[in-house]
Amino acid sequence: MSALTGLLSNIQMYSTKDGPGIRTTAFFTGCNLRCLWCSNPEAMYPGRKIMYYASRCHRCGACVAHGADGSVIFGDEGCIIDREKCTNLFEMPDICYYDAYEEKGMEMTVLQLYGKLVRDRAFYENSGGGVTFSGGECLLQREFLYEVMKLLKQDHIHMALDTAGLWDFEAVYPALELADLILYDIKAWDRKVHKQCTGTDNQIILDNAKKLADMGKEMIVRMVIVPGLNDGRADIERRLEFVKSLGSCVRQVDILRYHKLGLGKYKALGLPYPLEEVPECPEEAAKDAVRLAGRMGLKATVGG
Amino acid sequence: MVEFLSFQPQNQDCDFERIERLQDRMNRRTATICPERACIITESYKRTEGEPIVIRRAKAFDDILSNMTIYIEDDTLIIGNQASRNFAAPIFPEYSFQWVIEELDEFEHRSGDSFQITEDTKEKLKGLQDCWKGITHQDEVLRNLPKINLQAEAQGVLHRGGISMSGDGHIIPNHEFVLETGYGGMAKIAEEKLKQEGLTKEQKDFYQAAVIAMNAALKYIRRFSILAAQKAETEKDPKRKAELEELGRMFAHLMEGGARSFHEAVETVYLTHLLMMIESNGHSFSFGRFDQYIYPYYKADLDAGVITKEKALEIITDFFIMTNSLNKVRPWDHTQYSGGYPLYSNLMVGGMRPDGSEGTNDISYLCLEAMNQSRLPEPNLSVRFCEATPHSLIKDAAKLIRKGFGMPSVFCDEVVIPAMMTLGLDIGVARDYASMGCVETAIPGRWGHRATGMTYINFGKIMELIMNNGMDPATGIQLFTVTGKEGRDVDYQSYEELWDAWEKALKFYFELAIDCDMVCDRSLKYHDSDAFASCTINYSLERGKTLKNGGSEYDFISQSNIGPSVVGDSLAAVKKLVFDDHVLTLKELRQAMDANFEGPEGARIRKLCRKAPKFGNDEDYVDRIVADVYESYLQLLPNYHTDRYGCGPKGCRYTMSTSNITSYVPNGFDVGATPDGRLAGKPLNEGASPCLGADRNGPTAVIHSISKLPNKKIAGGQLLNMRFSPGALAGEENLEKFTAFIESARFYNVFHNQFNIVDSATLKDAKEHPEDHVDLMVRVAGYCALFSTLMPEAQDAIIARTEHDWQ
Repeated sequence: MSALTGLLSNIQMYSTKDGPGIRTTAFFTGCNLRCLWCSNPEAMYPGRKIMYYASRCHRCGACVAHGADGSVIFGDEGCIIDREKCTNLFEMPDICYYDAYEEKGMEMTVLQLYGKLVRDRAFYENSGGGVTFSGGECLLQREFLYEVMKLLKQDHIHMALDTAGLWDFEAVYPALELADLILYDIKAWDRKVHKQCTGTDNQIILDNAKKLADMGKEMIVRMVIVPGLNDGRADIERRLEFVKSLGSCVRQVDILRYHKLGLGKYKALGLPYPLEEVPECPEEAAKDAVRLAGRMGLKATVGG
Repeated sequence: MVEFLSFQPQNQDCDFERIERLQDRMNRRTATICPERACIITESYKRTEGEPIVIRRAKAFDDILSNMTIYIEDDTLIIGNQASRNFAAPIFPEYSFQWVIEELDEFEHRSGDSFQITEDTKEKLKGLQDCWKGITHQDEVLRNLPKINLQAEAQGVLHRGGISMSGDGHIIPNHEFVLETGYGGMAKIAEEKLKQEGLTKEQKDFYQAAVIAMNAALKYIRRFSILAAQKAETEKDPKRKAELEELGRMFAHLMEGGARSFHEAVETVYLTHLLMMIESNGHSFSFGRFDQYIYPYYKADLDAGVITKEKALEIITDFFIMTNSLNKVRPWDHTQYSGGYPLYSNLMVGGMRPDGSEGTNDISYLCLEAMNQSRLPEPNLSVRFCEATPHSLIKDAAKLIRKGFGMPSVFCDEVVIPAMMTLGLDIGVARDYASMGCVETAIPGRWGHRATGMTYINFGKIMELIMNNGMDPATGIQLFTVTGKEGRDVDYQSYEELWDAWEKALKFYFELAIDCDMVCDRSLKYHDSDAFASCTINYSLERGKTLKNGGSEYDFISQSNIGPSVVGDSLAAVKKLVFDDHVLTLKELRQAMDANFEGPEGARIRKLCRKAPKFGNDEDYVDRIVADVYESYLQLLPNYHTDRYGCGPKGCRYTMSTSNITSYVPNGFDVGATPDGRLAGKPLNEGASPCLGADRNGPTAVIHSISKLPNKKIAGGQLLNMRFSPGALAGEENLEKFTAFIESARFYNVFHNQFNIVDSATLKDAKEHPEDHVDLMVRVAGYCALFSTLMPEAQDAIIARTEHDWQ
């Protein structure tokens, strides 16, 4: 067990948006969906990453001098990095004196992660909170995750899995069984829309939702609304109907408004932002969805 | 109208419109200088030349109270004034006067805490200066202070604070006793004592002074009776007319004996406070456990049907607002240490009773609501809580905190009570603690003056000095050496050597600070021999002694230590980089510090320094070192006594406090670059909080780091200040989470916590456009101040605090 390690992009202590009470959210690196609106690109793509923040750059030239094969040059704002050419990119956080370069992604052993998560135990107990595993897709690192969950279970710590549902049910079953709550994303009903927005079909995702319901797992379903992409009324309605069909194990539906807060991260990773032209989701659209859910007898909130 | 916390008015008895008017007036009040007290006491002292000082001061108190301007503020049920107009600061020339004269033309032009002053006032004050030359408290201190102390001050290690130029303050009267006995009753006790055989001269003088002071207070009260009746005659509004008539009747006999109603009790608490602030110009005159001693009066009136909960709320709110009519002017030099016109009048609710049961009652909730209505810096509202404290009280406190003006601060009984017991108190006594001033803790009615805020010791500067063999790079002054050789050269071979140097330097400056405390204390024995305040503390009337002469039941004092986190982070950086990892030599580090980390090499080294472990992130490596820094100070304390040792009070010892008001900002001005990567001149850390921006792992990690400190030994008060973004507390669910966060402190050894709920953008905007944010109140360091009244450097330090934005 001790040899197992996981790759995490961040551990957010005092997280209040990922389930009930005060929580610690562990963001696992790597995802099998490619949602256009993803606000955690550093967790979506596999492996460690180097973020570069031009705003911190002092234009001292240290990275320009160090970059392999002239791969870093001065730009109008900060430096321009040719990431393909820059074979020594991972050395930059040490080279730059001003923290313009930052490495994202930390490899942790089971015990290291467990130790970190168990620290806030009294906060969890006092607030009805616990631990949330998120990502990326936390279940892609299922063996590592399972080992951490086993330890937390011994401490009776409440655990939530924040997942997009694209996995082999049998393979991840042991982890699902230990979870107290599943935060389950349903990103679109229409298969074409789903494929277009996430790069994958939604059949397995919907099937897995049903299987979770059959297990009687408590769920909070999360539905993101992105203007022009998955905000068709019919699609939202079908998604909600599906959720309704899952039965009483769904305690709540959270309507999430698409926002552009992830934009800076794409810049820092040197990636194009896929939805440059798409506006943020208006509050009214989210409220409409909540009302719709309400009429179906579902408990729904904006933002969770 | 302001949204209520949990209060739901059932009738119209509380006039919220009127409260709003009074609040608004008080919010826009301007500070001025009032010369009246200075003129009256000058004349009075001339008449009493040669008499015992305690009697002279009592007679001066009488002269002031008999002759000062009095007025009744509109819209309030609580009356009484300290100076000739609202928010005017009286002058106390007997403590120090030279600076007043020197700064006469500067008061209006200060960058923070400015005071309007008329030419007439300036002339009046100038006319008094000859009378006070060479005879003030400050003159005496300066005459007696050893030269080496002045050099330590020049280095920036020691700062004398208010103790060398003003009265003591820092007192929580035994309000329960005062309310039961009345000023008249206290005068009677003194008169009875005077009839006893075998009194010493000191006792006779004290009792005479007590009689004079208490009768002076009664005279002042009767002046208001007449004034209220006069005002009633011309008042057009029938409701106000009736109120003024009632006030006139109430004041005719108020405090001749015990308080006869809830209204009288609250009025008396205000008056006792106000009178002490006319007698002396200390600060941190505090109210103690207001909900505990007021409740019996409330309950009796409620049961008798003479008051409603709603009326009680109006009276308490008026009382809260009126405490903001008082003021104090300090020299500019001190103002930087305590920006925002603070009086630090702490008022505490909730928590355990002496018998161990939980004491929360209606008044506790009403005080939170009154603060919600008054929204002004005073009183400094604090809430105590323990396991049995109702969740609803903490939730109301959380709601109030969420409103974003920094109050209340919260104290955890499970940590504070054991800390108080380290002083040798019985558990029943320790359970009765209250906060005094900012976060200092004391037992109401049992402690003497000035439990804390004695000499300030700049820990950050000592850190800089040990990196330079004891020599201050800025002034070239060297008062001790690490190596035994003069000059700046020092080369530690191990962390243990560096640590030994820290301990040696700390002890050296601590002893100088003790000398300074003694010099000031001995001078204040004379200059602060205040009969009125003394009588409100247990045993003073019994023994016939002023507090400064040993009249109090207990005597504990603490200095103020600034920058333990900077020191711990710096020691950790040197340990890690130089001795553990060998990535830097001490010489390289010292050179970089000298150059304030400038140039590419400086930037390289500073990066290493900043990457070293930092307190506030739940990292044992550095948290343990910070804890060591606390222990190094704590272990010195048992060997030293206060000036009252052997004079009667129990204890007469030192304790520790990290309450350091805004001093972490100006203290930082004096400290060069430090090994933690902090640049020269930047602020030190506030109280026990992490260094500005050093905490990167959220609020719970801060709590974990704090929990490793010896908080249960810090009986003088441990300060933690956290900042959250408003969004993190929005909505019912987040409020519950925040409430749970506060309550969880019990499990994590957190002595005290206070919160700022303002986002950085708002703070920055308030700095640029103060006119748009007149009422923006922030938590400074144990107290609240209007943001616009702070000097720019203090504003920057508050903006730089890590903002915890919950995701």
